[in-house]
Order: sequence, then C-alpha cells, then structure tokens
Amino acid sequence: MNKDNKYIAQSPLQDFSLWDRLKLSRRVISFDLELTARCNNNCRHCYINLLAGDKKAMLKELTFGQIKRIVDEAVTLGGLWCLLTGGEPLLRDDFFDIYLYLKKKGLLISVFTNATLITKKHIDFFKRYPPRDIEITAYGTSKKTYERITRAAGSFNAFMKGLNLLLEHGIKVRFKAVALRSNIHELDEISRFCRERTKDYFRFDPFLHLRFDRNQKRNEEIKSERLSPEEIVAVEKKDAERYQALGKGCDKLIMPELAHTNCNHLFHCGAGNLSFSVSYDGFFRLCPTLWHRDCIYDLKKGNLNKAWQDFIPKVRDIRSDKKEFLEKCRKCPIANLCMWCPGHTDLETGEMDSFVEYFCKIAHARMQELNTYKGRC
Amino acid sequence: MTSIEKDTKIISSMELKVDLNSVYLPVRDLIAKDIQGELIIIPIASGLGDLESEIFRLNETGRAIWDKFDGKRTLKEIAKDLSLDFKGCPEDIEKDITEITEELLKRRMLIEVNNKL
Repeated sequence: MNKDNKYIAQSPLQDFSLWDRLKLSRRVISFDLELTARCNNNCRHCYINLLAGDKKAMLKELTFGQIKRIVDEAVTLGGLWCLLTGGEPLLRDDFFDIYLYLKKKGLLISVFTNATLITKKHIDFFKRYPPRDIEITAYGTSKKTYERITRAAGSFNAFMKGLNLLLEHGIKVRFKAVALRSNIHELDEISRFCRERTKDYFRFDPFLHLRFDRNQKRNEEIKSERLSPEEIVAVEKKDAERYQALGKGCDKLIMPELAHTNCNHLFHCGAGNLSFSVSYDGFFRLCPTLWHRDCIYDLKKGNLNKAWQDFIPKVRDIRSDKKEFLEKCRKCPIANLCMWCPGHTDLETGEMDSFVEYFCKIAHARMQELNTYKGRC
Repeated sequence: MTSIEKDTKIISSMELKVDLNSVYLPVRDLIAKDIQGELIIIPIASGLGDLESEIFRLNETGRAIWDKFDGKRTLKEIAKDLSLDFKGCPEDIEKDITEITEELLKRRMLIEVNNKL
C-alpha cells in the first residue's frame, strides 16, 4: 500500500510536520504522569522510589478519578502524548484502566518500566492497544550487578523474563541505562545488550540528580553512585554514537553568546512551554525535576487549566538576585555543558540559583574533552 | 471480541468495492482530532493503518468528506451535500468520495454500516 495518497498522509512521529507549528503556539503537546512513587526495586541511585507496599504513599496517590480529570483537561489543552512513569507504574492495580482511558482519549502513550512485572496479560493488552513505546531501564547484564543496584533478590530473572516476553511478542521497546559506580565496569556490555535488542534508541545517563523527597540518607547513596567528572567524560567518549554527536555539535556547545549575561531570569529552558509533569500525589511541575516550593501547584486543590495558563508564567518569571550565581553561572560560556538548571540545583542545595561545584567540574571536564576533539578535527 | 476484531473480520471477508448507495462510518477504535486546523487520525487499537506508531492526516478534501461520514447518509447523499457546500461538479465529488472511502476501507478506518455487527 502506498504510504500517502491524494487525501491521506501518514508519517512517522518524528517527521510529523505539525510539531514545528505546535512549538510556536503555547499549547500542551506532552505530559508525564507519575502513577506512583512505589517500586518493587530499591535502586541505590533512584530519585523517587518508595517501598512497593508503602501504605502511606499508596494513600497519597492520585485516584483513577483524579487522573481522569487531569487527563481530560490536558487533552482539552492540546495534549497528544503522555508518558506513564513512576516509581514502577505497573504496580498500580488500575494500570490497565488508566492506560486504556488515555488511549481512548487519543493519546500516544509511552511507558517507563523496569519490566520485572510484565506478564502475559500485559503482552495481550499491549498487543491490542499498542503503546508508542515502552522504555526499559537496564541496570546490568549480570545478576550480580543488576541486583547490587536494585537490591531486590530475584529482580534480574524477573527483568529478563519480562523483557523476553515483550520482545518475543514484538512489542516495541527502547532502552536506557544509568551509568553508576556500581555498573561502570559493565557499561559496555549493557550498551551491547540493549542495542542488540532494539532497533529504537538506547541512551545512558551519567548524570544523577538527587531525590524529590530530599531524603538525606538516600541522597548520600545517590552521591556515592555518582561518577567523577573525568569518568563521565570517559564513558561519553567510549560511546561512539554519543561522542560523534557531541563532536558534531561541539562548536555550538561552547558559545559565550549563549550565556545570558544580562538577564536575571532563572528559566531559559523550555520547561512548561509545551509540556508538564504531574507527581503521584498530584503536584503539577513545569518539568519532572522542578520541585522548589515556589514552582509546584497542587492539582488536587486547583485545576490544570489554571496551572497551565496562570501558574507557569509566574514561575517562568522568577529571577535571581544572587551575586555569586549571576556573576559565576549566568555569565558562564559553557553553561550548556553543565547539569545546572533551577530544578537540579534546588534538589542539590535547596535554592534554584546556586553554584554547584560537581556540576561545574563536569562542565569543565567536558569542555576540555571537546577542545581536544576540536584540536583533532 | 473487540470492536476492532469484529470490524477486521468483516473487512477481511468483504470486497473493498465502494458502493455509492451504501452508508459508511469511522470504526470505533480510532480518534480523530483537530489540531491547528488539520484533522489527525490516531488509532487506539492495533490493526488500523500500516504501522501502529504513525499518525494519519487528512487533507482539506479528505477532511470535508470524513466529516460527513455519520453512519446515516449514503455516499451519494454526501456527494450531493458537498456539491452544494463546494459548488463543485457532483461527478468529480463522487469520484473523490469513492477514492477516499476505498482508501479508508483498506486501512480499516471505515466500516460499511449495513454490514456492521
């Protein structure tokens, strides 16, 4: 069958010409719904997970009815795409109801899962109502490494079983990995494992941000899993695809004119322009990591329309008057190599406009590598 | 049996020949959305279109015809309506309607109501 005819055009999502037009309008394109903060794994580096059986967390979770109200509003505001995430979203007893409701609203759905809870029932369901994609995190390719990170006995076998079920039945999956102190020795193998199993992309993230609930003990665990700036650069360099992409764009990455030297607005990113996030307990944010008290809006007390129309502009207008930040970070010519953003920095320091030494060191290590790369070109 | 399975069963067992005296209706397992003036068709269940991850767009003519598929009027009646709306030649409009109906039937996005379970 011809892909297009006189009346109907069909194209892959990435080639969908409307995206560019939509970016010019201030409307919702996509949103994340964290269905739960609970997880059956207990990963060392996780920024959200609570115990699977945490009753208190369960009681705080948005009900199906509350989720329906938010989704209805999101679709009215233009929403086309929804990411269902967690915690582990498959832990919710009403996962199928929520998913189907979104589908019937015409939303494209992505699901982030650790795959350990996938059963034949999920397979039949996803085959009938296909997700846009299912993104699975691969923590390791050996039981020892995987379970060192997840701290859940039997999780590696459950992961392999769930993953194989998805693959055997042709459900589209993509992978991500997190580069950690506990799995850095296995990163090449993880990369190979993932790329062999998907035609879609594999990405790894070496940047660990801190927890949304600011749990100090857990934050220390995350910090202990962080790679050094030099290690981060080394793993980036090792990944040919990523390194080539970085190399191609290296001239655009170190640009003094991109430092917003005369502006004290905190937000120069796209947070809240076309998308938003909703936490498991109903807090609206401009992006998943933005948890500062001045930047969250309780959807259980208000509504999405107000959050989108009135609250976002207020947040995006927040400015800094902190001399150290304005002189050090705002004027930094390699700001776009840095992990700094209002959300990450607030999780790190409790303030959105602080200098974070670790972030700065990563940016400088990356700059050094890019300069070496440029020298070789 | 889901609606899409029912619809698929019907389509696979029938010829895709378009009858201007028949009534057609979009299947239940898709959503049509107006986004900035463009009509986008998003499949809900598997089996519609060629690939699950794609979005389908109808052009202006396609959209004008799609909007008339109400499960009540025959294609001939729709052509008559459209010839009044667009002041076009009824024969040309019937040709357009026949072509798009055939295309939508192939993609399992439309069903002939007379045969609906």
